[in-house]
Amino acid sequence: MLILILKKEWLESKREGRTLWLSRIILLLLACALLSSWHSYQQLQIQKTQVAKSERERWLNQGEKGPHAAAHYGVYIIKPDTGLSVLDPGLTDYQGAVLRLEAHKKNDTLFRNIQDSIQMQRFGDLNSAFIFQTLLPLLIILLGFNSIAAERESGTLKQLLANGLNPKTFYMAKVFALSGLALLLFVPVVLYIVYWLLFGDNITADRSALFIVSYIGYLFIWALMTLIVSSYAQTARSALISLLVIWALGCLLLPKFAIDNAEKQYPTLSSQMFQSKLESEIYTPERQQAIAKFKQDTLDKYGVDNVDQLPFAWSGAQLQFGEKFSDKVFDRLFGQRQMQLEAQSLHYQSAAIFSPFIAIQTISMAAAATDFAHHQLFSNAGEIHRRSIQATLNGDLKDNGLTTRNRSKNYQGDHHLWGKIPKFSYKYPPIGQLTSNYGRAVICLILWLVGLISLSYFAIRRIKNEGQQ
Amino acid sequence: MNLLICLCEIKNLLRERLLWLVFIITVCFSVLASYNGYQWAATQNAVIKNAQQEQHQATSIAQQGLAKRQALNTPINWWGDSYDLRGQAFYLMVNYATKPPLPSAAIAIGQSDVQLYFFRMLVTQKQAFINQYEVVHPLSLLIGKFDLAFLIIYVLPLLLISICFNALTQEKQSGQLRLLMLQGLSPLRLLFNQLLIRASVIILPLLLISIVALLTFSSGISLLALVLFICLILAYAVFWLALSALVISYGKTSAYNAAVLVIAWLSFVIMVPAILNTAIVTANTAPSRIEYVDILRDNSDAIDKSSSKVMAQFFQDHPELANKNSADTTAGQSNTSYSTKKIAKIAALEAAMQPFDDDFQTVLMAQQLQAEQFSYLSPATLLQSALFNLSGNGLIRHQQFIEQVLSHHKILRDFYQQSISAAHQRGDFSPCTGCIARVTITDLTQVPKFTFQEQRSDAPLASIFILLLFSGIFILLASLRLLAMNRSQAGSALV
Repeated sequence: MLILILKKEWLESKREGRTLWLSRIILLLLACALLSSWHSYQQLQIQKTQVAKSERERWLNQGEKGPHAAAHYGVYIIKPDTGLSVLDPGLTDYQGAVLRLEAHKKNDTLFRNIQDSIQMQRFGDLNSAFIFQTLLPLLIILLGFNSIAAERESGTLKQLLANGLNPKTFYMAKVFALSGLALLLFVPVVLYIVYWLLFGDNITADRSALFIVSYIGYLFIWALMTLIVSSYAQTARSALISLLVIWALGCLLLPKFAIDNAEKQYPTLSSQMFQSKLESEIYTPERQQAIAKFKQDTLDKYGVDNVDQLPFAWSGAQLQFGEKFSDKVFDRLFGQRQMQLEAQSLHYQSAAIFSPFIAIQTISMAAAATDFAHHQLFSNAGEIHRRSIQATLNGDLKDNGLTTRNRSKNYQGDHHLWGKIPKFSYKYPPIGQLTSNYGRAVICLILWLVGLISLSYFAIRRIKNEGQQ
Repeated sequence: MNLLICLCEIKNLLRERLLWLVFIITVCFSVLASYNGYQWAATQNAVIKNAQQEQHQATSIAQQGLAKRQALNTPINWWGDSYDLRGQAFYLMVNYATKPPLPSAAIAIGQSDVQLYFFRMLVTQKQAFINQYEVVHPLSLLIGKFDLAFLIIYVLPLLLISICFNALTQEKQSGQLRLLMLQGLSPLRLLFNQLLIRASVIILPLLLISIVALLTFSSGISLLALVLFICLILAYAVFWLALSALVISYGKTSAYNAAVLVIAWLSFVIMVPAILNTAIVTANTAPSRIEYVDILRDNSDAIDKSSSKVMAQFFQDHPELANKNSADTTAGQSNTSYSTKKIAKIAALEAAMQPFDDDFQTVLMAQQLQAEQFSYLSPATLLQSALFNLSGNGLIRHQQFIEQVLSHHKILRDFYQQSISAAHQRGDFSPCTGCIARVTITDLTQVPKFTFQEQRSDAPLASIFILLLFSGIFILLASLRLLAMNRSQAGSALV
C-alpha cells in the first residue's frame, strides 16, 4: 500500500510539473553555489598557505635587530578553514581572517570581507547553507501544502478512507514522498562531503556527520510541519497561508528578533568606549607605581642599588612585567566583552525552540567552524601565541641584553632567536568538545523533531476520524 | 458604483479575522521598525558625542596641566608626554573623524552597522586604522536589523500578498462575480477597488506610524526626504499590487494565485538579489586581503631596508623640512630626527600601497556600478539602494566620508611633520645634554579638527519611475485580460 501511494504521489507530481521545475531551479542554484564556493575556497586556501609561508620566512629572515624591535615587528597569523565552510560560510565575511600579534597590544582580527562589499551583499550570498536553510523549506511547503488539504477539499480523502486506506500508511507515504524529494536535493552535498572525506584533508568525520544528520533532521522537520498543517487545514489555501506565515516567522523574522533581543540583554561597549577604557586602564599611574615597586623589589632581591648592577638586563624584565600588567587588563576587558558576546550567542540559540532555522543555522556554522565560537577559539590561540612570543623575546633580552657582564649597548637578536618562536599552527578541536557552544541548538532541533512526530500522531487521528465520519 | 463596491468590500473584510491580524501585524511591525531605526541613530549619536567629549576633555586636561609640565625637571618619556609633538602625533592624540547620522537615518540602518562611522586619528599609515570596525556579534550583521527598510522591502509585499491574493477570485469561485457582472459591474473595476481597499489596511498605518515616528524622533528631517520616503513606499506597494492584479487576472484559484505571488516574492526579494550579488562579485573579483597583508609587509620591509633612499626621496619632496643649516638634502638626513624618519616611512608606505588600495577601490566601484545597472531586475534591489542612500547609510555617503577621513589624515600628518621639523631645528627635543625636551605643543586646539562636509545626494527619482513603469505595464496587462474576461463572461451570461 505504501509503495502504491508513493507511486501515485510521484505520478501526480510528474503530471503537475510544478515539482520538477521547482526542483530543477533549486538544483541549478545549488550547483552554481557549490561551484562558486568551491572555486573561492580553493583560491583562498592557496593564498592562505602562501602568505603564511612567506610570513614565516619574513619572521625568520628579519635580520639582526633588538628583540623588542622584533616584538613590535610582530607576526600576522591567518585563520584556518574547514572543507565544510564551502557549504556554509556562516560568519566568515563578518569576522576578519587575519590577526596581528605584536608587543603591548591585543588586536582584533583584521579585514572583514563585508567592509569591501557593496550594499547588495546585505541580501545575502547564494550558498548551499542559504539554499538548504531558507529555500528548501519553502520548496517543501510549496510542494506539500495541498497534499492532504487538497484531498480533503476535493473529497477524495473520504473515498480513499472508505476504501480501507490505512490513515497511518497514507500519512507516512506523504511524509516519505515529501521528505524524500527534499533529501534527494541534499544528495549532491552528501556526495561532496564523502568525496572531501576521502580525498581532502580539511574535513573531519565527526563534523561531517553532525552536518549531514542535522540537515536531514531539519528537512524532515519541514516535511512533517507541512503535512501536519495540511492535514489540519480545511482548505489548501489556508494551509498555504499558515505555512508561509510559519516560514516567514521562522526563517526571516524570529532570527532578527532573537539577535536583537540578545544584544539588548547582553550589551557590549562601543569600540570607541572600549578602546578609550582599555587605554585609560593600561596606562595608569598605578602601572607606573607597580613598575616602580617591581624595580625596587628586584633591586632589594639582588641587593643592588642600581638596575645597571643587576645580573640581567633590566629592560627585558621591565618589558615583560609591563606585558603581564597589560595582559591582566586585556583578560578582564576583552574577557568581559567575550562573555557578553558568548551570552548573546547562547541567548540567540535559545530562540531555536521557536524556530528550527535558528537551530540548524547554529549547528551548521558550528560544524563548518564558521561561527563566532570557532572565531574566538582562533583569537584566543593567537593571543596565547602572542604572549609566548613576548615572553621569549623579553626573556632573551633580559638574559642577553645590557648587563654588567655584557656591556654591548646594542644587543641584537638573530635568526637563532627568531627560530625559537614556533610557527603558529591551529587546528579546530573535535566538534564533540564544543557541545557547550551549540548544545542548546541540538536539543532544540531534537525537540522540534520529537514534537512534530508526536503531533503527527494527532494528525493521523484526525485523518482517521474524518474517515469514520 | 465605486463607493458601493468599496463599502461592500469593507463590510466583507471586516468580517474576516485575517484583516485584523494583518492590520495588527502592520501596526506592531511599523512601531518596532521605527523604534529600532531611531535607537540605532541614537546609539550612533551617543558614540559620536562620547568621542567629541573625549577629544574636548583631552584638550582641557592638557590646558590645566601645562604649567606643571613647564615646571617639570625630572626625565619624561616623549611617547608619554602630552606636551611633546612626537608623543601627540604617534600615540596620544585624541582626534576623531566622525560621520554623524542624517536626520533620516532611522529609515534604514543600511551599511552603517558594518562600516565604521568614527575613526581615532594618529599619525600612522592609513592601513592601521581605515579597516577598523565596531565589534558587535557578527550574527547581528549577518542577520541584519529589523528596521523600516527591512519591513518595507521584505514584509510589506508579503502582507500585501496575504490580503490581496484572493481578491476577485473569491467572488469568481463562489459565483458572485457572474451576478455582479449581470448588474453591470466590470471585473476590472471590482478588482482595482478591492486591491485599493485591502492595501490601504496595510499602507496607511505603515505610512502614518513611520512618518509620525520620523517627525517626532528624527529632528531636522527635511520635507523632501519625507516626500521621497512616502513616494518610494507607495511606488513599491503599487508594484506589488499591480503584480497581484496581473496574477489574479489569469482567473486561476486563490491557492494558485498565492503560490505564484509567493514565488514571485521569493524570486524578486530573495533569489534575484542573492544571485545578482553573487554574479557581480564573481565577475568583479576583489583582490585578496590576505595577499594585501603580504604586500604590505613586503613593502614595509623594503622601506625599512632602504631608509636612506626613502629619506632622500622625502627631502626631495619636502625640501622645506631639510635641516636649514645643511647645504643639501643628503646632509640634512644625517641630522634627521626619529620622528621625521617615521613620518617619511609612513608616507613612503602609503605611496607604495596606493596602487593596491586603488585596486580595491576600482573593483568596489565596478561592483557598485553593475549593482546599480542591474538593480532594475528586482524591485527589492531598487528600493534597497534608494532607501539606503536616502537614510545616508549607504555606500556612497560612506565613501565620501572615507575620502574626507583620508584627507584629514594627510592634513594631520602635514601639520605634525611641519611642527616636529620646526621644533627639531629649534632644538626643542634636546635643548642641552641631559635636559628634558621643551614643551612643543601648548594648545591642542591648534591641531586640525575634522568636520564632515555633507555632500548633496541625488533624489531616487529613477527608482520611483522604474517601479511605476513596471507597475503600469502590469496594470495594463491585467486590464486587458480582465476586459477580455468581462467580454467572455458577458457572452456566456447572455447564452
